[in-house]
Amino acid sequence: MKKRSLNADRKSSGEKLVSELLILPDGRILVHNLTRPFAELLAELNPDCEQIASRSSRRNEMKADITHPPSHCSDAASHASSGHELSQRT
Amino acid sequence: MIETALNERSTDNHVREDRVFENGNPRTRLSAPRSVLARERAQIARAMLADCRFCAHDCGVNRLAGPNGLCHAGAKARFFSAQTEVSDELELIPTFAVALSGCDLRCDFCITGASSWNPHAGAGFDAGAVAAKARAALRNGARTIMVRGGEPTVHLPAALELVSLLPETAKLVWKTNAHGSAQARELLDGLFDVWLADFKFGNDVCAQRLAKVPGYVRVVEENLLWAAGHNELIVRHLLMPGHVECCWRPVAEWLAANLPGVKVNLRSGFWPAWHAKRHAELRRAVTTPESDRAVALAREFGLNLIP
Repeated sequence: MKKRSLNADRKSSGEKLVSELLILPDGRILVHNLTRPFAELLAELNPDCEQIASRSSRRNEMKADITHPPSHCSDAASHASSGHELSQRT
Repeated sequence: MIETALNERSTDNHVREDRVFENGNPRTRLSAPRSVLARERAQIARAMLADCRFCAHDCGVNRLAGPNGLCHAGAKARFFSAQTEVSDELELIPTFAVALSGCDLRCDFCITGASSWNPHAGAGFDAGAVAAKARAALRNGARTIMVRGGEPTVHLPAALELVSLLPETAKLVWKTNAHGSAQARELLDGLFDVWLADFKFGNDVCAQRLAKVPGYVRVVEENLLWAAGHNELIVRHLLMPGHVECCWRPVAEWLAANLPGVKVNLRSGFWPAWHAKRHAELRRAVTTPESDRAVALAREFGLNLIP
């Protein structure tokens, strides 16, 4: 497993936004502290993942009140191996 | 004096009389603006540090004199993150999340273990500065403001001070491990719109082994029942590898029996972080069959899963 960190520039204040991801051997990507810029990046990499798409700005604007995305990505437990999953916050 | 101040505002009888429902969720009607109550309670909470019983460990130590309790937190709060995120429940995001350093549990798999186990991690907490960031986030489209940790209960004075500086209309989320005390609940009553509470372990043996916490299940159940009666409640369970039957099943069964219809977020993105390697079964991620089995159990018990 390979762990990576990403800092994305926050345009307004110059502060750093921090997200972390973990790429599993089977291709799954676990994400921790997901920020909007990171969600948009992941959504571009895998547009079919509803769980990430629903967290990117474009999808949020389109379906601001969505609570039950229809596809298989709507709950993290039924992801295909190529999907993204939201990791734990303990 | 502390007891008197609390009783004037939120004894059980008082709370029952002032309970209202908003959008189908219980809510305590406050006797004064939220900011005013939060400011008063922050002062009370600060005084209570002299005999700290904010969490169920019930240490009773004087934190004003130093970090003497099991959480190792002193009187001053620190924080390790404050940013707008989209990884929480869809109905809560984007959320401006403030993570206070320190925790009363010792979960070996904690993804923020370095900061959650260490209340001295991060930067000194300036409620005014963080509140200013939160207000800016709201202006930029954040839907909620989330106070979390670590475990924010450990730093109730700071958390309440932050609330006192936030707009009255801001939707506030209390992200907790649900291991707080009745005293803590009284101080929090009516201030947060949503309690986002973990139910991590389905039995006390796993809780003791993985988080070094005794009597876990009873405390969490007590907190969840209280939270469901006082605010909107979302229960979160992090599915752990090898713990579907021993932990998730009893959690799901209890939720179905005691909090039917409560929103449940089942998270399968277990990340073998921090000291997870100390436990053989936690050295890996959750497998797809485990995830599928967990979802099947949720459906079997009729749980209201939310993304």
